Amino acid sequence: MSVTAPAAALNRTTEGGPGSLPAALEVQAVSVHLGGKTVLSDISFEVKPGEFLGILGPNGAGKTTLFRVLLQLIKPQQGQVRMNGGRTLGKAVIGYVPQSRQIDPELPMRARDFVCLGLPHPLRPWLNRADKEAVRRALELTDASHLADQSIGRLSGGERQRIFLAQALVRDPKILLLDEPTSNLDPGAQEAMAEVVHSICRTRGISVLLISHDVNLINRYADRILYLTPGQYAIGTVEEIMQASVLRKLYGSAVDVIRLDGKLFVTTSSQPDSKVCFH
Amino acid sequence: MLQYDFMQHAFEAGTIVAVMCGVIGVFVIARHLSFIAHTFSHIGFSGASFAVLVGWNPIGGLLLFSTLSAFAIGGFGVKIFRREVTISVVLSFFLGLGLLFISLSAKKATAMYALLFGSVVGISLQNVLDIVYLSAGVIAVLLFFYKPLKFDSFDPAGAQAARLPVRLLSIGFLVLLAIAVSEAILIVGALLVFTLMTAPAAAARHLTHSVGRMVLISVLFGVLGVWGGLALSYYTNAPVSFFITSLEAVFYFGALGWDWLRDRRKPQEERTTEGSAA
Ligand SMILES: Nc1ncnc2c1ncn2[C@@H]1O[C@H](COP(=O)(O)OP(=O)(O)O)[C@@H](O)[C@H]1O
Ligand SMILES: [Mg+2]
Repeated sequence: MSVTAPAAALNRTTEGGPGSLPAALEVQAVSVHLGGKTVLSDISFEVKPGEFLGILGPNGAGKTTLFRVLLQLIKPQQGQVRMNGGRTLGKAVIGYVPQSRQIDPELPMRARDFVCLGLPHPLRPWLNRADKEAVRRALELTDASHLADQSIGRLSGGERQRIFLAQALVRDPKILLLDEPTSNLDPGAQEAMAEVVHSICRTRGISVLLISHDVNLINRYADRILYLTPGQYAIGTVEEIMQASVLRKLYGSAVDVIRLDGKLFVTTSSQPDSKVCFH
Repeated sequence: MLQYDFMQHAFEAGTIVAVMCGVIGVFVIARHLSFIAHTFSHIGFSGASFAVLVGWNPIGGLLLFSTLSAFAIGGFGVKIFRREVTISVVLSFFLGLGLLFISLSAKKATAMYALLFGSVVGISLQNVLDIVYLSAGVIAVLLFFYKPLKFDSFDPAGAQAARLPVRLLSIGFLVLLAIAVSEAILIVGALLVFTLMTAPAAAARHLTHSVGRMVLISVLFGVLGVWGGLALSYYTNAPVSFFITSLEAVFYFGALGWDWLRDRRKPQEERTTEGSAA
């Protein structure tokens, strides 16, 4: 169910986003049931080309499931997903950086080779000139050129995330899905990651959907946010969504939003409810 | 020693199997399947014992049992079979079954010994040809699917994110592994399959930062182990498998030691370069 927030308009033209173009991504009345449980119910929204959509919500709200639907790894029981104005496109159109990724510290691979894995041709093991150029550009865009020759297992968390991002970018996607790319990073690395994603979104016109638990980080970079809670959602600008009245409807319990020094904090006035995501 | 037919056959079969195991071992390690390979070897043993009982060529029984189990394991999902309890139950059940088949047949002792500990010098020309064709087939398929297999083995989450057909790759790889294990059994025996399937690749991993080079080094270690084993066994009369396992162990611990030494040297180098930069 969509929470009707004051002025939380769906097809709102965001500044910087070219409003007249067909949507890069359209989600129409999607519902997903997994293991006898409703994970997503009747979700509709669209993302413009080059738009940065931040996705917030507590654990278990269905954020990862939504990404898996967009990737067609899960078929929704109801509704449909259309990309690029309904035209069917090749698999390369979406770049996805999944939430958890185990990397063996002894993985015998340099960062550059790890990025090469993402190249779109399925079987050819050698690289032609266009491939090398694509890999070089992806590393440059993610500010990771200096890491190219290092062993992937020895990189720090933030450096690894940028290499994962480069691997998704090397396919030249139109849409990027990033599942909590900043979750295990220190504040400086979080900021650097968001900065890199933001500049890719702006310079390459790629639509970005980024899941994070940090409302202030999202506030600085995203055009709009999609706030998911189990069974509910709202979409709009940060100002529209991060209101006590909207969040109360989303969570179905008393939630307050405090603004302090231009930063947002979410609290509950009642007893601590583990389901609320404190930002 | 190469003037004898049986030694020529042993070298031919041993070499191609070592090359195949060297290549596939790299993926076995990356996919954490070494104990599943070991399980295949026990299932293959019971298949071969069955073949001995009913009078088939042992290769037929090996391939039948191990590929069937590859489809079964792939169908249920590899995760269940990576659990050590599942592995130990399946493994000992099939070892026991093999024992039963052998005890029911007439040629008990020699057949059992050959299957458990290998019999590379007893290989006939027909078997050599079977082994060469099968191994060449496995190597060709591995090389053809090298890129997606590398992606899925070394970065499974990324491969799924890039929407590779990961399930198909997983089952296909298990079938190749089943064939490879069956052949390794003919060379080193069911109990020593680890030695060709994982030791060369495990050693190679410590010596390089590139998967392609890891494959080459792994093949080199596999082939050197088999050649050395055959030669040493010819001149000493001790079992081939003993020398192959010993040489592979030497390679593995040598590589481990080399890696350790290099890691200890590196911090000093970094310190000196920092010093010169400042
Ligand atoms: N394959 C599945 N089978 C059954 N339930 C699932 C499956 N995947 C996810 N779920 C359930 O769906 C809900 C949403 O999960 P998820 O999308 O991972 O949430 P989030 O990413 O927002 O933390 C959770 O309650 C989870 O238990
Ligand atoms: Mg999640």
